[in-house]
Amino acid sequence: MKISLLQHATPHPGNSGPMPVQRNPDALMHPLSRARERKRALNASKMERMFSKPFVAAFEGHEDAVECLERVRGRVGTVISAGFDGKIIVHSLARRNALQTIGNAHQGKIGGICMATGDRLLSCGHDRSIKLWSLKLPNMDDGEEAIEDSAENDEEGVTRRIKSIHLDALEDSKSLNKPLLVYPSKVPLNSIHHHRYQSLFATASNGVHVWDETKTAPITNLTFTGSSETVDVVRFNMSEASVLASIGSERTMCLYDIRTGKAERRIVMQMRSNALSWSPTQPSVFLLASEDHNLYTFDIRALSTPTQIYKGHVSAVTSCDWSPTGTEFVSGGWDRTVRVWKEGDGNGKEGESYHTKRMQRVLSAMYTSDARFVLSASDDGNVRLWKANPHERLGVLDTRERNAIEYREALKQRWKFDEEVGKVLRSRPVPKAIKTATSLKRTMLDASAEKEDRRRKHSRKGETNPRAERKKLVIAMAE
Amino acid sequence: MEEGRKDRKTRMEDVQMLNVGETGGMQVEGALERTWKMTQKDIVENVGLDDARSRSDWRLDGGPYACRYSRNGRHLAIAGRQGHVATFDWQTATVHAELQLKETCRDITFLQDHSMFAVAQSKYVYMYDLNGVELHRLSAHIEPTKLEYLPYHFLLVSASNTGFLKYQDISTGQTVVEHRSKLGPCRTMCQNTWNSVIHLGHQNGTVTLWTPNSPTPHVRLLAHLGEVTAVAVDGSSSGRYMATSGADGRVKVWDCRNWKGCLRQWSVRTGTAQGFQGAQLDWSQKGMLAVGSTNSVNVFQQPTITSMHGPLATPPLYMAHPTPRSQTSSTRFIPHRDLLAISHSSSSDKSGILTHDHVISTILVPGSGNPNYDTAEGGDPHEGSKGRREREVRSLLEKLEPSTITVDPEMLGGLREEAKVDESLVHRKQPRFQRLRASGKADEPDAMQEDDEAGTGSADEKGTVLEKKRVGKMRGRDKSMKRYLRKKRKNVIDEATVRFVGNLDGMVC
Repeated sequence: MKISLLQHATPHPGNSGPMPVQRNPDALMHPLSRARERKRALNASKMERMFSKPFVAAFEGHEDAVECLERVRGRVGTVISAGFDGKIIVHSLARRNALQTIGNAHQGKIGGICMATGDRLLSCGHDRSIKLWSLKLPNMDDGEEAIEDSAENDEEGVTRRIKSIHLDALEDSKSLNKPLLVYPSKVPLNSIHHHRYQSLFATASNGVHVWDETKTAPITNLTFTGSSETVDVVRFNMSEASVLASIGSERTMCLYDIRTGKAERRIVMQMRSNALSWSPTQPSVFLLASEDHNLYTFDIRALSTPTQIYKGHVSAVTSCDWSPTGTEFVSGGWDRTVRVWKEGDGNGKEGESYHTKRMQRVLSAMYTSDARFVLSASDDGNVRLWKANPHERLGVLDTRERNAIEYREALKQRWKFDEEVGKVLRSRPVPKAIKTATSLKRTMLDASAEKEDRRRKHSRKGETNPRAERKKLVIAMAE
Repeated sequence: MEEGRKDRKTRMEDVQMLNVGETGGMQVEGALERTWKMTQKDIVENVGLDDARSRSDWRLDGGPYACRYSRNGRHLAIAGRQGHVATFDWQTATVHAELQLKETCRDITFLQDHSMFAVAQSKYVYMYDLNGVELHRLSAHIEPTKLEYLPYHFLLVSASNTGFLKYQDISTGQTVVEHRSKLGPCRTMCQNTWNSVIHLGHQNGTVTLWTPNSPTPHVRLLAHLGEVTAVAVDGSSSGRYMATSGADGRVKVWDCRNWKGCLRQWSVRTGTAQGFQGAQLDWSQKGMLAVGSTNSVNVFQQPTITSMHGPLATPPLYMAHPTPRSQTSSTRFIPHRDLLAISHSSSSDKSGILTHDHVISTILVPGSGNPNYDTAEGGDPHEGSKGRREREVRSLLEKLEPSTITVDPEMLGGLREEAKVDESLVHRKQPRFQRLRASGKADEPDAMQEDDEAGTGSADEKGTVLEKKRVGKMRGRDKSMKRYLRKKRKNVIDEATVRFVGNLDGMVC
């Protein structure tokens, strides 16, 4: 007879601490594992909501509303803002200070700013001038690029800030803030955008004009034949660099090609658009921020219907900008919120909505070029920095913490269809005013839909067929 | 689905590879050898010195004992009927607490770990800490007879002479639910560790299955002709098998998926010892069943105890341990060890003086325990205080709601049944799937199959399918003209038919 008793394996020290750990992956050893995993997922989703603190910093400096934001090419932590007070400020997001301030760049409101090639900036304004500026940016290697949480400011940061203030004062005293060039215009200018490679830029005023950097008058007038509207925004396509798009006050969106030198297509919509942004990854796709509270993505190959409607704002959408990854975009609205959207998620269930008590109407919203942060410029004269992913933890993570975060993300993905977990994950507390406005809007939309149902019920069959929401938007198209 | 299954299979292979602990066992070498012939003496001689030391017999005063091990098998709690309660680390022989309560104690259980335990005393349930200091008197639990602790829900469950089954949350102190069984005093209880369902055995021979979520039992089973004396659920088979023993002297093994009759039953000799009567049962981690009855404790092995067999045939024995002239009051396998603790008592009449003899014996049962424990599940016998604290916090964070106790624990996270659709709703208000279905865009495998069949069928079949569809779609009042056309033979086309068809087309469009 062979007799033996069980022998435990020698426990080995685990990677999670000094305690020796032994695991048995046999499912029978883990009763109720599914219920426990669900509980962990619920805890993970609650933690996400708990740590969801998107606000990082506010940048002061403007005396009036800020309307324009611009990224500096090749620099993650540097952005430029311009406001109604005619001031242009270059912000360092890492140092939380102004690198350069150009006071009184224009008389009155600045219509638009954009980067030209090199460290040069173009600005245009209602004072009928375009100005080319040279930016004094510090060297890249002094740790400017890392954006840290506001709580993690150390003494070093403070001394650095004091130094840079001295630098500012020095620059101001030398009065370096003079434009390199001034291009006179006959009309006030609303928007400006530079060509990706060539030394060309386009402006929007009572028409669309293309300028050469070396000439003091526009070289081409691209204005749609017979149009007398005010053009608000003009944007070059970054991939198909000779294509540009504009939106105008007569509810239009127009496409141009500088190779043919004329307007190619124009659509007229139900309501006017406020902002336009080309997708960085899909050359034929652009995004419109509309006055009717919605955002629309269009494909230029089929302009008659938008590819997706993005509903969520409860007031006019004033600005929009794609993430450099092309999978998300940000929008700012007259309803005092900044919203982050996932492409294709039309009702914004996976998106975020940011707000603070002090933030007023958002006039501009923009992604930073590392796609991790979002900037907003608002009526209260501040530029605010937000995390694009509100529960992301900034700073250095150790392996155990990163593993835990990854595990929690996987759990949330796996259990998001569970009623309770999904409810926590979807909850986005918004200010009371927006909540009321949302429910009021819902009521009104429901009522009109109800009315349409009744009308259809009492009319002859086939006479009032329902129309898809997407097909209602564009009311006229011209080639 | 296919991939998931494959995944599970490979995972099982991983399990075999990763579990490096060695399972014990007894193996016959000749045709005439029998494992049940091996006495404890033989086994002790054949195993190492350390293991042999685990074999012990403790003679104690204070009545038939109920005993219970902590989840890692390291700590033992005993409660004597006369009021002798003790908890200790049996491996190092360190006593944590020893109490003389001087009242009837019917059952004892550890709570979240060995630092707290609950005792079913004569009137109420009491909770004690590691040092035996009384923490709480749970006066809602009146005359408790049996205790169970559900570790993942932090629930202490008591069955009582009043017939009530009570669930108490020990982390918040709240009584979760009280079920009135309406079946009289209940003296038998066990839990199914796989799904945390409570099994009660009653005096009229029924076994009932309870969860906190239903005021009536999920299953009511007439198991025995007399009182049910013991119930045990097999933890090694994800709670698939249940063993019961009754005052009718039978032991029965049931399949919990199908309650139509037991799988196997056999007779045992039973007697009575101060509140403990009938055979006592326990399943080991490897699926062995210990039946402690009068004069002996027998251990049976899978799969013979769960295979269908003729009437009243005792399954082949794996091991037998004689306990002469005594009645077993408790049998407990020690988790992650090849050991079985038996508490049995005998009374003898020596020259007119009645003497009681209470013994707790630990015997070696090779092959009964699972050598591969999991630290996260609290199975580590070498767990230190730091690890214990860590695990306690973790398990509190993962504490499950009592509402998650279901007979099928895999139900969570499954698909919800399709909701009933209100057909009277307008198209716009119907759920998305219905709208897609109405426009023919719904992704339905059945519908697609139907279409395929219709597509491959002959012309006649196609015609009938279309005819059926048209019949299904017909709404509103039947027009006399349509009826006329339908009744008219279709292959006869005369002037009147053509005229009627023309009129009908005009009306429909």
